[in-house]
Amino acid sequence: MGAASETKGGGFRAWLNKRMPVDQFMADQLTGYYAPKNFNIWYFFGSLALLVFVMQIVTGIFITMHYKPGEATAFNSVEYLMREVPYGWLLRTLHSTGASAFFIVVYLHMARALLYGSYKAPRELLWVIGMLIYFALMAEAFMGYVLPWGNMSFWGAQVIINIFNTIPGIGPDLVEWIRGDYAVADSTLNRFFSLHVIAMPFLLALLILLHLVALRQVGSNNPDGIEIKENLGPDGKPVDGIPFHPYYTLKDVVGVGVFLTLFAVVVFFAPTFGGLFLEKPNFEPANPMSTPEHIAPTWYFTPYYAILRAIPDQRLGALAFALSVLAFVFLPWLDRAKNKSIRYRGLASKALLGMFFIVFLVLMWLGLQPAEPVYVLMARICIPLYFAFFILLPFVSKADGNGPVPSRVTYHAH
Amino acid sequence: MRTNKLSVIGALALLLGAGSAIAAEHHAEWERAADNEVANLPSLQRGARNFMSYCSGCHSLKYVRYSRIGTDLHISDAALAQLLVRPGDKPTDYIKASMPASDAQDWFGKQPPDLSLVARSRGTDWIFNFLTTFYADPASRQTGVNNLQLPGTAMPHVLASLQGVQTLRTANHEAGATPEAAAKAEGAEHGEAHEGKASPFEPGVVGSLTPVQYDEFVRDTVNFLDYASDPSQLERQGLGIWVVLFLLMFTGIAYMLKGEYWKDVR
Amino acid sequence: MSDHATDDTVPEVDESRRKFLVAATVGTGAVGAVLTAVPFLSSWSPSESARAAGLPTEVDLSKIEAGQMATFFWRKQPIYVVKRTPEMVASLKSHDADLKDPKSDASDQPAYAKNEDRSLKPDVLVLIGTCTHLGCLPKTRFTPGDATVTANWPGGFFCPCHGSKFDLAGRVFQGSPASVNLRVPPYSFKGDNTLVIGADAAAEKGAA
Repeated sequence: MGAASETKGGGFRAWLNKRMPVDQFMADQLTGYYAPKNFNIWYFFGSLALLVFVMQIVTGIFITMHYKPGEATAFNSVEYLMREVPYGWLLRTLHSTGASAFFIVVYLHMARALLYGSYKAPRELLWVIGMLIYFALMAEAFMGYVLPWGNMSFWGAQVIINIFNTIPGIGPDLVEWIRGDYAVADSTLNRFFSLHVIAMPFLLALLILLHLVALRQVGSNNPDGIEIKENLGPDGKPVDGIPFHPYYTLKDVVGVGVFLTLFAVVVFFAPTFGGLFLEKPNFEPANPMSTPEHIAPTWYFTPYYAILRAIPDQRLGALAFALSVLAFVFLPWLDRAKNKSIRYRGLASKALLGMFFIVFLVLMWLGLQPAEPVYVLMARICIPLYFAFFILLPFVSKADGNGPVPSRVTYHAH
Repeated sequence: MRTNKLSVIGALALLLGAGSAIAAEHHAEWERAADNEVANLPSLQRGARNFMSYCSGCHSLKYVRYSRIGTDLHISDAALAQLLVRPGDKPTDYIKASMPASDAQDWFGKQPPDLSLVARSRGTDWIFNFLTTFYADPASRQTGVNNLQLPGTAMPHVLASLQGVQTLRTANHEAGATPEAAAKAEGAEHGEAHEGKASPFEPGVVGSLTPVQYDEFVRDTVNFLDYASDPSQLERQGLGIWVVLFLLMFTGIAYMLKGEYWKDVR
Repeated sequence: MSDHATDDTVPEVDESRRKFLVAATVGTGAVGAVLTAVPFLSSWSPSESARAAGLPTEVDLSKIEAGQMATFFWRKQPIYVVKRTPEMVASLKSHDADLKDPKSDASDQPAYAKNEDRSLKPDVLVLIGTCTHLGCLPKTRFTPGDATVTANWPGGFFCPCHGSKFDLAGRVFQGSPASVNLRVPPYSFKGDNTLVIGADAAAEKGAA
């Protein structure tokens, strides 16, 4: 190979591929990876979650350039960013809206898994890794919310960290260790800054990579819940599969376009989203002597918060709180149906799942309301319904999800 | 079964409704919306002047520079220096309260809060109501006034020369008061019914502005505070229109591209 | 269901339409990406705080004695203000041959400072006190004949980092690592005794 040809496109490509399996990788992962052709709207949210992750990293990098961690400087630095840095207001708003968008997308992504049994074998590990991403994401969001050091940042941190007090034996020491002080203070803020900016993003990136590797290994599920790899054509490819590139790369671009349009509407026209994305009390600096009128975490935590608050016993409440989050992990083993998708399960399964979705949303709304008796009562009704989903699932799924399934996916050419 | 699902939903809806009704009781009885428009530049300019004249004695706007107000509200350097910038301050300075903090602590028992973000933390409606619901209460308050929005406030009625000092109509809290009776008693101007509720006030000492003029004054000031809490909102929406239009166009083109390739899929 | 293996109703692939749509999508996407980069890159520009701090600085000249220098800051840079004596001004004429750029053609100064004494008024020299080599602060060596600098030293500045030498108008001598004269900031006078660093007629027109 002469020196001249190495500088041309074709030559460079050959040079590169001799040293790194670029073309092989593209062929394996994109044009050679077959995904079911019957993906519907529920299948956009995985790629959108990845998009939002990248957006949060990029906007996060840029706002960290202006943010100053520390009790005395944090709040002021955020106002500095909003008012004095060119387009600082936009960078901040992209990041705050992105945080809420991340959870909207992730919840819809998880809902897809519940609808179509995407957590069932052989995708149990994929689901568990996904749950780890969810936990890491909640930690990341919680710590990020503390950083502006507004009054809700402070009190939200105080309340949530105090939950760990309930752990028998080690509780109080653990809480002091987490805080690095006798109350949420400068030390807490600074360590959360480090974790939020570096440690958790690295962990999230690793988990997301593992999630994609696990997905690649087993292949995507689909709305009909049938395994396309069990029906191969004469070319060795699934008859109901299509190459990821160009079909799903192009389809996902449309999904990105729609998402970004809606995202832009919020960012530019309703950035606080009625106090849900940027909460009112957080526009006052942290004040250890003045608790906001009603403390609530950001909306994406409120279903679990409603459960915590409704139980009069502190330890039991914390336990229920933990279980309500952890319960999801066990779904692959709780669900004993033969059929994956809700399409091929009976009315009981549909009712149970529908009830769960509704209860989840009601609990989310309840967690945002003040701690008044009527809301606590409603939460106390919802809690047994919430757990009933997980408890009844083994029985309902076993009874309900064994009917016939088609051999080919449901697809209409368009 | 389907009926079970429906009955569950029905029960929840009933409880939701009950919950909302109970929650509504907690709102102040006399709450009006500020109805300010940040796009109204003259209103913002008047509000800036109002703030500097009546509020900046005690309240700082510590994140706001005079020069920034000048740029955003299209106020010339000369007008800015003459009407807004406090003597001794540079145009690029942040707006500090004239009163030293220690004095404020002595006189009011607490430091008057900075107002840079009050429109975001309390809301414009809250501020509007706060500034319009001072009433005479010499019996229980050292300042001689109390406030419906923030009972027990340490703030005196700074705008008394403009609004006058109204008194609380004790009969209002009884079930008998009607908007018609209120309007008849005070005349349409002052006892104006608001959303069917009668005003809880009746006129006491009269100020230099009529109630309608005073509302405008407060609205302008609240408008300015709204702008001050988030200056980017003046340009945000204009930019947003372009962004959304661009994204719609991009999505449309991408959709056509997707459709073209998906013709292959049978 | 239908026979998926072969389908006679598959339409012909319209390659040119595909190419066009790919180009349109990629093109629009690229434009979008560039536009998106604008706020991120702009956020690096000096903030309002930086610009406010960079406003013109006023200096009381009566506090500086003749033949002495005082240092001030403007836009985070050291500004050397020298009250030049008539002898110092006279010394500027004698050594053009020893200078790299006696007419200040290559260096950065306002139009009114592109003269022999590089100033608006000969008795006040205003320079940015940053060596044009690699940025150290040059030291004063105003005494003519100071042998520690060089033979026939007319007086000026000596940079301790790498040995660059400048005369009493900030012009760089031959043999110095620096290649251009010291920079002159925009400035003007307010009355007889007040120097305004950072403001002149041109700077006010294009106010940052």
